[in-house]
Amino acid sequence: MISRRTLLGTSAVAAATLAAPSILHAQAKTLKITTWGGKWGEIMKATVLPAFEKEFKCTVSADQAFPYVPKLQASPKNDPLYDVLHTNSNEQWNCFTEGLVMQKITAKEAPNVADVYPWAVSDKIVGVAIFTSAIGLGFRTDKGLAKPTSWKDLADPKLAGARGSYIIPVNSLGQCHLMMLGKIYGKGLQDLDAAYKALEQLKPIKLVDFTGQMEKMLLSGEVSMGVIHDSGVYRYDGQNQPVDFASPSEGVMALEQVLNVTPGSKVKELAFGYIDYMLRPDTQKLLAEGVWYSPANKKVKLDAKYDAKLLTTEAKVATLIQPDWKWYNARKEDIDARVTKILKG
Amino acid sequence: MAVASRPSPIAWLLAPALLLFVLFFVLPFGVMAMMSFYSGNPVTNPNAFLTTRHYERFIFDTAGIFHDALWSTLRIGLITTVVSLLIGYPLAHWMARMQSRLGHALVLMAVIAPMLTGIVVRTFAWMTILQDKGVINTLLIDWGIVSKPLPLMYNEFGTVVALVHIYVPFMVLTLTGVIGRIDERLEQAARSLGAGRLRAFVEVTLPLSLPGILAGSLLVFALSISAYVTPSLMGGTDVLTLPMLIAQQVGTSFNPNFAGALGVVLLLVSLAIVVAYNRILARLSGEQGLA
Repeated sequence: MISRRTLLGTSAVAAATLAAPSILHAQAKTLKITTWGGKWGEIMKATVLPAFEKEFKCTVSADQAFPYVPKLQASPKNDPLYDVLHTNSNEQWNCFTEGLVMQKITAKEAPNVADVYPWAVSDKIVGVAIFTSAIGLGFRTDKGLAKPTSWKDLADPKLAGARGSYIIPVNSLGQCHLMMLGKIYGKGLQDLDAAYKALEQLKPIKLVDFTGQMEKMLLSGEVSMGVIHDSGVYRYDGQNQPVDFASPSEGVMALEQVLNVTPGSKVKELAFGYIDYMLRPDTQKLLAEGVWYSPANKKVKLDAKYDAKLLTTEAKVATLIQPDWKWYNARKEDIDARVTKILKG
Repeated sequence: MAVASRPSPIAWLLAPALLLFVLFFVLPFGVMAMMSFYSGNPVTNPNAFLTTRHYERFIFDTAGIFHDALWSTLRIGLITTVVSLLIGYPLAHWMARMQSRLGHALVLMAVIAPMLTGIVVRTFAWMTILQDKGVINTLLIDWGIVSKPLPLMYNEFGTVVALVHIYVPFMVLTLTGVIGRIDERLEQAARSLGAGRLRAFVEVTLPLSLPGILAGSLLVFALSISAYVTPSLMGGTDVLTLPMLIAQQVGTSFNPNFAGALGVVLLLVSLAIVVAYNRILARLSGEQGLA
């Protein structure tokens, strides 16, 4: 039987809740995001997301099942599957073209954007980049190879059958490599004819569809030199693996980690808060040192070991080349067909 | 007054299976087929319009890769099916005729064992065996038999090897049941009438096991032509199949409409092959409608 005291107490709580719907709303807020798996996902789930949930009094629903864009495409624009989309830059451009994400995240929405390097908010970025990797050349140190200094070193005849890159239609590192071939052997990143010709010259070449597979190929010696991002090599630091990373003198391509908000999100303020949180120096330092990504925030002070290798100064950041994904995506189907024919057989 | 006929209890038992079939095949396929005739997603994009351009793109193939991909898909499916049958039939026959229950159980476990690990794991295992620095090439080079690695992977050969390993159990399990139900005395009768072991097999056992061959072949063929992971990992630049193209269109070109058209094309071509195969086997066995 309910006592008078219990009844009064319960009624008081119910009345207070009804009188303050914002409290109920705040407790029910859920932020839907995408994020990577692996070591990144471990740090996010163990540290970053719980701290964010505690501070912002919300819950975060994180999707790690790639690819995210087709799922976002299939959901209604006014009730999108995600509030914050985390992908590489090429996919953000696809989404922006389809009206699935915002054009820019500015310091007005996320104050820490004021402290990022120019590359993180350049005209080659939609949304805001929170980290970048440098795409260069990974190589075996036990095969008597000199440390590569140029992208042209990948074409060394000694590396026939032992050089590696990516299946261009499905991997943005492969797409970056193709554009870089246009720059090295032709008039620039958009010189596709020169790029196709150079690609033909790289045969025989082993192609994989994701960076984790390239890491395995390098570690097993299946390839002696391959296109890879610095993080994919530096993460084996201290494990006595005969692999190293080289930044070619012509520059490294940027592999940006980009966050963006969906226009139809019902929790936009929370979404901006999340992006701001990800750009905080302490969050940036934790993730940068955890997965060897170069932070976007200029104020981040990394430990010496990481600072020496990652892009943490204006001078080092100047070596980054950002592709024009809007241009690339517009002709992707033609490029896919052409490179498939070149590399088949 | 006529009594309304009631569905039999068996029909009700079929209802869950029918519901699953409608929910997980008919409905998704219907959506996919519908999407293939739209320029975009009509649910999220009010400007999407009806079009046949995705089919025209495939049919005219100005890119020069789609017809190759279809032929490559079917070729890999057919080769995998034939090799699986050649490996699976003797094994299934041996299992079906095995007297020892323990022996039968042990062989059955050996056949099923590969199915207990995921396709990705099995494919990676094949990669460590067949790649240039893999077990086979390393041994051959160390023993001085070859001077440079044999091309065992990153081509159709490696793809078929891995697919056969993955799908042979399906062929064996299907055939074992059918061969086990063939009365052994028919073969013995043929032999007592003067037929040799081979002739008795060819004229008695083989025709009677045709339903099993048909079912097993269709199963392996269907699984092979829809395989994505294994051709992607084992095929390198040499292999491009329709499932790989479909995945590309959905996952990286973000064009589900063209992916839908490719899916419909693959299904229609496969159905045509299945019907033709069914008819040929029916004619060979003197029966109609084996499947």
